[in-house]
Amino acid sequence: MSSFLKIAIRNLLKGPSTDPYPYGETFVPKGLRGKIKYNAKACVACRMCEHVCAGGAIQIREVSDKSGLEFILWHNTCAFCGLCEHYCPTKAIRLTEDYHTAHRQEDKYRYVEKGFIKYVPCASCGTPMVPTAPELLNVAYDNVNKDIERLSKLCSKCRKEKVCG
Amino acid sequence: MSTYTIPVGPLHVALEEPMYFRVQVEGETVVGLDITAGYVHRGMESLVMQRNIYQNITLTERLCSLCSNNHPCTYCMALEKIAGIEVPERAQYLRVIADEIKRIASNLFNAGILAHIIGFDSLFMHVMEIREIVQDTKETIYGNRMDLAVNCIGGVRYDLSDEKIKYIRKQIDRLKKPLEEIIDIYMNNKFVRARTEGVGVLPKEEAVRYGVVGPVARGSGIDYDVRVKSPYAAYDKIKVNVHVENGSDVRARAIVRLREIQEAVNIIELCLKELPDGPTCIDHLPEIPAGEAIAKSEAPRGELIYYLRTNGSDKPERLKWRVPTYMNWEALNVMMPGNKVADIPLIITSIDPCISCTER
Ligand code: SF4
Ligand code: SF4
Repeated sequence: MSSFLKIAIRNLLKGPSTDPYPYGETFVPKGLRGKIKYNAKACVACRMCEHVCAGGAIQIREVSDKSGLEFILWHNTCAFCGLCEHYCPTKAIRLTEDYHTAHRQEDKYRYVEKGFIKYVPCASCGTPMVPTAPELLNVAYDNVNKDIERLSKLCSKCRKEKVCG
Repeated sequence: MSTYTIPVGPLHVALEEPMYFRVQVEGETVVGLDITAGYVHRGMESLVMQRNIYQNITLTERLCSLCSNNHPCTYCMALEKIAGIEVPERAQYLRVIADEIKRIASNLFNAGILAHIIGFDSLFMHVMEIREIVQDTKETIYGNRMDLAVNCIGGVRYDLSDEKIKYIRKQIDRLKKPLEEIIDIYMNNKFVRARTEGVGVLPKEEAVRYGVVGPVARGSGIDYDVRVKSPYAAYDKIKVNVHVENGSDVRARAIVRLREIQEAVNIIELCLKELPDGPTCIDHLPEIPAGEAIAKSEAPRGELIYYLRTNGSDKPERLKWRVPTYMNWEALNVMMPGNKVADIPLIITSIDPCISCTER
């Protein structure tokens, strides 16, 4: 009655249930929240990721020669919470299934994900501006036509003038 | 017989988290108890006031590991109350599923530790292996074994495809038989009984007097469960059978937790069956006006209460939470006296204390 022996023998016959990691493969499901990957081409610099990040792992700032914005994310400060990906309108920032984060102590502060958004001149007035990612247009419009594409090359001031006349 | 005082903790082989007990003993019997806390205080109530409403979703999820889902969930419910946000129905169900999956893993962990403390390590290993089914499920559905990252303001951040629903069904099916087996062992095995029956008794009147909650209350015959008394998320649409035991001892509390795992399995199955279609989250960024709200939920350890006050800015003016362990550990003053020194860690484990929630 209620003896554990049967279960113990069954478990013994089943053999080890642990994975042989790091000498062999281990269980990595699709959708695991691992290291961040950033795609500068899809980023519209809305800074929402920076705003929601609890640990302050993300920083977006203008480079000294004012030619664009630098995105930097410290992997060691990231808590893999996924809020940045959730709130990113274009999914320029996302979590990958890569969970390998071992690195040397001396690389501690260099263990980062970086990206650079180069300003482009406004097609009308030439003011430097963050390029409009096609991903954003796809989120905003069902159907991106020539007019919308033309408007997306303008800075916000010229765009307003163009649209409101 | 001589009376003397022995220290237990703050670091102790059988305690999961640091806590310090000054125990007065007479021979081998406990006669009195002093509890000293504060070893894992991290100033989180102050930290939340320095972070915005979004950042606090992540921060509250990291208050503790075993009931980590309840914190951001209850916090988001408080925000939603202040802002008058209507959470989509599908999201309500998805919140319940996440809640119950965490409950299974948490309660199995406690059952395992109990076996470890009474020296039944093969049972401990077996229970932890069953728990791996749940851990794998969490990792596959939510992307992490502990922090599910389910909640956001106005809904949830995950969705279940048909494929994933099938997967969860399969996984919880795998739990059913092993669960029945271990419940039989915890209830009837003579070694387990010898160590848990009549140990750490908390009579019902004392349980009421101390205001204990969760499995500690339900193990002492108190029929109280937030999911039934003041339903949140989709619990108003789902029948929850509250399991109550009258033994008032370590064994009764263990049985309540194990039965709650079975009930959680039922609840998840029901949710998967009735999961309504629709959005999983509101489609705009919330605006949080000035106001205050209280929200509560049934964490694996009992009733969790959040108080939130906002002032119109995006940082909370005050956020305070009352966790189940706060009342439950005071009741140790009743459970301990009269028991043997060797049972001290066992009785502490039987309240399933979460020190990091309580001290934050
Ligand atoms: S996953 Fe969370 S902690 Fe990591 S960068 Fe994104 S928001 Fe910050
Ligand atoms: S990564 Fe996404 S959220 Fe962050 S600034 Fe770029 S577009 Fe905005």
